[in-house]
This record gives sequence, C-alpha cells and structure tokens, in this order.
Amino acid sequence: MPSPDSEAALSASKLRALSPLIKRRDLIRTALFASVASALGPAFSFAQAASLELTPAARGEDGSNFLTDPNWKAVFLNDQQNETLIALSDVIIPATETPGAKEALVNRYLDLLLSVQPTEFQQQFMDALNFIDAESQKQFGRDFRALVPDDQRSLLTPWAYPRQGSTWMEEDEQPDPAHQHFARLKALIASGYYGSEIGQKELGWEGGFTNGVYEGCQHPPTTHT
Amino acid sequence: MTRDVLQQKYDAIVVGSGATGGWAAKRLSEAGLKVALLEAGRSVTPKEFTEHLPSFKLKYRNHSPEVLRTRPIQKQCYACMEYNYEWFVNDLENPYSTPPDRPFTWQRLRILGGRSLVWGRQSYRLSDVDFKAASRDGYDVDWPFAYADLAPFYDIVERYVGISGAAEKDEMLPDGQFLPPMKMSCGEVRLREAIKAKFGRTLTIGRTAILTQPHNGRVPCHYCGPCERGCMTFSYFSSPFTTVKDALNTGNCTLITDAVVSHVDMDTSTNKTKGVTFINRTTKETKQVRGKAVILCAQALESTRILLNSSTPEYPNGLANSSGLLGHYLMDHVVGADASGTFVDMDELPTANPPHRPNGIYVVRYRNTPATGKHPHFIRGYGFQGGASPRFNTDAPGIGAEYKKAVKLGTYHVSLGAFGESLANFDNFCEIDPDLKDVWGIPALRISMAHGNNEAALMRDAGVTAAEMLEAAGAKDIHVRTGVEMPGMAIHEVGTARMGNNPKKSVLNAFCQSHDVHNLLVTDGSCFVSSACQNPTLTMMAITVRACDHLVERFRRNEV
Ligand SMILES: Cc1cc2nc3c(=O)[nH]c(=O)nc-3n(C[C@H](O)[C@H](O)[C@H](O)COP(=O)(O)OP(=O)(O)OC[C@H]3O[C@@H](n4cnc5c(N)ncnc54)[C@H](O)[C@@H]3O)c2cc1C
Ligand code: SF4
Repeated sequence: MPSPDSEAALSASKLRALSPLIKRRDLIRTALFASVASALGPAFSFAQAASLELTPAARGEDGSNFLTDPNWKAVFLNDQQNETLIALSDVIIPATETPGAKEALVNRYLDLLLSVQPTEFQQQFMDALNFIDAESQKQFGRDFRALVPDDQRSLLTPWAYPRQGSTWMEEDEQPDPAHQHFARLKALIASGYYGSEIGQKELGWEGGFTNGVYEGCQHPPTTHT
Repeated sequence: MTRDVLQQKYDAIVVGSGATGGWAAKRLSEAGLKVALLEAGRSVTPKEFTEHLPSFKLKYRNHSPEVLRTRPIQKQCYACMEYNYEWFVNDLENPYSTPPDRPFTWQRLRILGGRSLVWGRQSYRLSDVDFKAASRDGYDVDWPFAYADLAPFYDIVERYVGISGAAEKDEMLPDGQFLPPMKMSCGEVRLREAIKAKFGRTLTIGRTAILTQPHNGRVPCHYCGPCERGCMTFSYFSSPFTTVKDALNTGNCTLITDAVVSHVDMDTSTNKTKGVTFINRTTKETKQVRGKAVILCAQALESTRILLNSSTPEYPNGLANSSGLLGHYLMDHVVGADASGTFVDMDELPTANPPHRPNGIYVVRYRNTPATGKHPHFIRGYGFQGGASPRFNTDAPGIGAEYKKAVKLGTYHVSLGAFGESLANFDNFCEIDPDLKDVWGIPALRISMAHGNNEAALMRDAGVTAAEMLEAAGAKDIHVRTGVEMPGMAIHEVGTARMGNNPKKSVLNAFCQSHDVHNLLVTDGSCFVSSACQNPTLTMMAITVRACDHLVERFRRNEV
C-alpha cells in the first residue's frame, strides 16, 4: 500500500488541476475516495450506512431535477398566481446580458418552497400578490400580469426605493404596507434567483470548488488606516 | 458484531467517539491497553460528504421540510442542514424537557465522530486568568490545576491536530504550537490596526483546527468553504479520520458502533465499575461490555445522563454523586451581542468563487484582565469571533438591470459576535425527567438553565464595545445587538460533573477520576470548573489526554 502521505498529496494536486471543470466533479470524487480509503489503513472499514440514514444530498441525488421536468405542475400556486409570479420575477430581475429570474425558473422553486412553509408565511405571500393585482387594477384597470412591461415597471418602481425622507430601513421603524408587500416578494424572488445555478453564474461563479489558497490582504501594513 | 467482541474483558471502555472519546481511545490503545470504543451512532464514510455540492442541487435549497419535521431543535444550529441533517439526532427519537420558562437548545450528533464532524474548529487555550479566576474575583472556586499543568497536553493535542494560528503574546490567550496562520482580509487588517491603536486590544486570525500545510499524513485545506458538510481530504480535525483511525490501527481498540450506552454497571463488592450496559440502536437488544475502567466521553450532558441513570442502592442519586453536585453547574457561553457595519470606502468586489476561507477573526478578551483591571459592573469577560469581507448586496434598492448591477457591486461587511463567560451556578442543572424516555427506553434529561445578570451585563457591554471598535475602524451603518440568547446556542455546554480536590464539593478529581468510584472517569466538558470565554474543545481534548496518561500510569502501577 502506498504511504498515506504520497497518496494524499497526489489527490490534492489532482484536485487543484481538475477543479475548475465542474463536469469532472465525479471523477475527482472517485480519485479522492480511492486514496482516502487506503490512507485510512486496514483497521478502518467503510461499512456503508443504510441509505435511509443518508440525506438525499449525501445519497448523491440531484434535487434540482424537478425544475426542468417537462411535466412540471405547480403544487402550491394556481395558474393565475403562477403567471403573476413569473411576470413579477421578470420585471424585478429581467434578462439583461445575462439570463433573468424567469429563465432561472424562480417561480417553480418558489412554488415548491411555499408549499412547505407555515400557513402564516403562505398567507403573507398571497396577501402580497393580491395587493399587487389590486394596485394594478386601481392604477391601470387590469391585473399585473396583463400590463405591458413599462406599466409593470412604473407600478413597482416607487416601492423599490425607500420613501423620500423615510427611515424605514431602520430596524425600529416599520415600512408602509405597500413597501412591505413588495419587499417580501422581491426578497423571495432574489433568493430564488441568486440561489439558482443561473443566479450563481450571474454572480461570477465558475463552477469550481477550489482555486488556490486564500491570499487575503496584499497591501503594506497601515495602508488601511 | 461477533460474540467475542462482547465476551472479552477490556482494560478500558470508552463511551463516545467524538472530540474527546477519539483522544481517549487513541491515547489508551497506543499505550498498549485493550480498549472498547462504544459509539451510539453509526459509522461515517467520506462518501456521504457534501462540501462540494452546490446548494442549488438541494431540492429545497436548505429549506427541507424533513429537517424541520425530524430536527426542529437541531435546526436551531446553523450547521444542521438539508445536506447533513442525518448526522444530527432525530429530535422525535431523542427527547429532553425544560421548564417552560427556562428553554435550552441541545445540539447533538450521534454518529462516529460526534460533533467533531461539524464543529466550527476554533481552538483557543485557556490561561491562568481562567484557571484561577476565583482567586482574582472571589466568585466560586479555582480549577484544581494550573495552566502549567495543562500546557504540555495542549502542546501534544495541537501538534497532532494541527492548529493554524498566529502568536500574539497576549496573556489572556496563551500562544500554542501553530501551523502557519490563514490570511486576513483588508477589512480585517484595518480593524486589527485600529483597535490596537485606539484601545490596545488584540485582534488575531482565528486559531483553527485546519491544516495550512501537510501535517501528520493529511493534506492542507483547499479552501472550498463549508467544512460542516465534511471534508474529503480530512484537512480539518474530526475524530473518525484521525484519533479513532489511529486507535483502530494499533490493533488494541475495538470499535462498537450503534451501541447506545444506558448506564454504567457497578460491582458493589469492590465499589468499582465492571463495565457498561448498552442497547443496540437498530435491534434494541440489551448488551453488556466488561472492562477494568470506564471513561465517559459522550459530551457533558450525555455523560451526566448516563451517570444519573446508573443509580445503585449505594448511590441512590446517580453514580459517583455522593457530593450531590452531579448535573449541577451547567454552563454554556452566553451569546446574543454583536455589531455589524460596512466599510463604505473599501471597493473590493465580492466573489462567488473560491478560495473561501473557512475561518474568521478573533478579538481577545479585554475585560477584567490583569492589564485592564476590575470592571465596575460585571466579573469575567468575553471574546469575539467575526470577519470582514465584501458581500453581494441582494438587499440593494431598485429593480431590473440597475438592481442586478448593484447586487454585484456588493458592500464591504464587517461584524463581531461575542462569546461571554457563563458563570458556574448551582441552580443551572440537569436531572432525569421521571416521565420521559427516548425510543430506546432510556430515561431522558430535564435541563434547567438560564443566564443571569452577569451574563446580561457582559452582553450589554460587548455589544457597545464591539460597535465602538467598528466605529474606530471607520465602519458605517453600524447595527448593534445586546441581548442574551437562549442557553445552549453556543453549543459549548460544560460543567455538570465538576473537578475539584474536595470530594464533598466536586464530582471528579483533577485527573477526571470519580472521587467515589476510582476506575470511573469522565473526561469531556462535564469536568470544567468554569467556562472561561474561549471555545472549549481544545481544552477538553488536552484534559482528556492528561487524564488518560494518568490512567495509564495507574495501570502500570497496578492500581486499577
Ligand atoms: C456547529 C457546531 C460548532 C462548534 N464549533 C466549535 C468551535 O469552533 N470550537 C470549539 O471549541 N467547539 C465547538 N463546538 C463544540 C464541540 O463540537 C464540542 O465541544 C465537542 O465536540 C465536544 O466533544 P465531546 O467528545 O465531548 O462530544 P462529541 O464530539 O459531541 O462526541 C460525543 C459522542 O458520544 C456519543 N454518545 C452520546 N451519547 C452516547 C451514549 N449514550 N452511548 C454511546 N455513545 C454516546 C455521540 O454519538 C458522539 O459521537 C461546536 C459544536 C457544533 C455543533
Ligand atoms: S474548507 Fe478546507 S477544511 Fe473545510 S472542507 Fe474545504 S478543504 Fe476541508
């Protein structure tokens, strides 16, 4: 058996070399495990745990499959709510030079997420959707999802900024209900987007899990004070 | 498990394979003793590690209803996730109770390695200001040993584990045997320089049980980030792949997994333990293992529970409890004070790519020190963990392209969160709940603990001084919290079988040996006399090694 030292060192250099290529992740896993098993020595046996006691992630399941299922159906939202959510996500995080929330299927993820939330959370979400449609009816005479994009934007934009002279960002002051409804929807859509693969790439993620050592501050002492 | 395994008579039975049990098994088996290592959970394999799995591959992206359903309490810990929740106990199977007005959150792992699989790896020595705190401020009692007695064992543990860190020559936080330190960010360097200049306080890079160079056959960290999901290269310290592995490789140690120890068995004629009884986790069969010495390392509350469940006619209130103190003096660092802000003039952009440094910064205690003198409002002190780095600004105002851009520009975030000393108090305790059992039929604990006025005063002061330090470094938009969170949140529970020289006023002697039953040891955090404010595990491991070496000596002298 090769010495644990050399085996382990080998796996580390392999790891660095392969890292940026996410497609080769499985290869890396295999290489690492082979070396790890021998590094541990004979006394250590890898009795595989009953799979019931592994999380789906630890079993290697890709939990994101449902998003792109051709037969996808909402489990929580009705068609109208789903369309409103798609319209909202498209205005709040549109496709620019990069894909937006609609392409990231944020509505599908949020539908699943909402389905497992406490009723209070679900209710707040519904109240916010209903509020958007009510305001849309008031100002434009139709539901939000039926507005042209310019009208959708002009409806939402005032709620996306603190009111003039307002301090509602401060902890102790409550935002007005309109801002609150909008903030709730925007936060959900943003987390659904930036938590998706498309969203991670939007943030510059290149798919690697290692990329050298953390180098930290490279400046001469006292240049930051 | 074969019959032979149970029919052997071992020299030592170690209960629990976590941070402390791994060390006990290693130390004793390397000294030539025949050891049985009993672990309540199953074995663990690197195949189930998920540190490289992106969170968008999780169906619920870490909001799984299964976690909430089966781990409503464990979920209060940031490390219990959709990735790894099976490592944490199922709260439905492992109940405990608390008085309604004294909530306590108890975070436990039942698996080979215990909490060492997910721990935060922060590793700090205590000093004589901690070991002799009572002599300085008159509260409670000193530890039965001094820093000099433990220092060689800190050395042994650090040299083996591999602790990266920087020496600071601060008397409150003794330096150790360090691997090269991880680097600080620009914002952290700024904070370090500012608080040294304005307050004379020490901010250092976190001292962490993560390798920054090859060490003892393990490779250094590759900065992937989320260690609490496992580490395929074993670059942070967890017991299964280090101490337990070494113990097994001696050929002297037999690992028995799925062995839920219910109680210690006594030989009343000799007043010695003869072994332990356990219940097979899956088959629920009851079995015994016999040995000349029993070392409990099941973590403070579990070891205490085992002793409380081991009553005999001679020890009606729990084994080794002639003092009546077993279960009392439960401590857990007080948390709830922090400050955060923004360095608006730092324009470094956030990144989604590695390297992700799995470590933060540490501000060394500066209250009630020999240098700063006595504080008028409270005794003891607190330290901070924190960090400074650019973050994506998903809270940015606006919508559309402008919002997307603002998110990527980010903000330079800085924060400090306090860990304060929890005072030893007789009224903070655990006992057996007569009406509650776990699914193996083992009586469960009732835990009764609340932080007091001193802890609240520490947190008020900590929040304010943290904000002052951020301000001194030029941070803006500073938010402060000065509350006290529910005990248990720090996951540093200690103290329920305290050490001491007086058998009437302590449960264990200075070598973690029961005053009442001489071949029974408890070497996990139960033995702590005070909590200090430093993360406790390094000290637990050093104490374990010291206690085990002493036990080996007693074996050599035929005293066991
Ligand atoms: C998320 C998290 C972060 C942390 N961060 C830090 C940190 O940064 N620094 C620090 O110093 N500490 C930290 N800690 C605390 C640290 O993990 C513990 O102090 C340490 O693991 C305690 O060691 P132990 O051996 O006493 O218990 P554990 O490591 O918990 O091991 C106990 C073992 O005993 C087994 N066991 C329990 N009951 C029985 C029984 N009846 N029969 C048989 N076996 C049993 C368990 O299954 C387990 O394997 C953290 C903990 C958590 C959860
Ligand atoms: S950050 Fe380092 S120690 Fe943590 S899991 Fe990744 S390689 Fe291991």
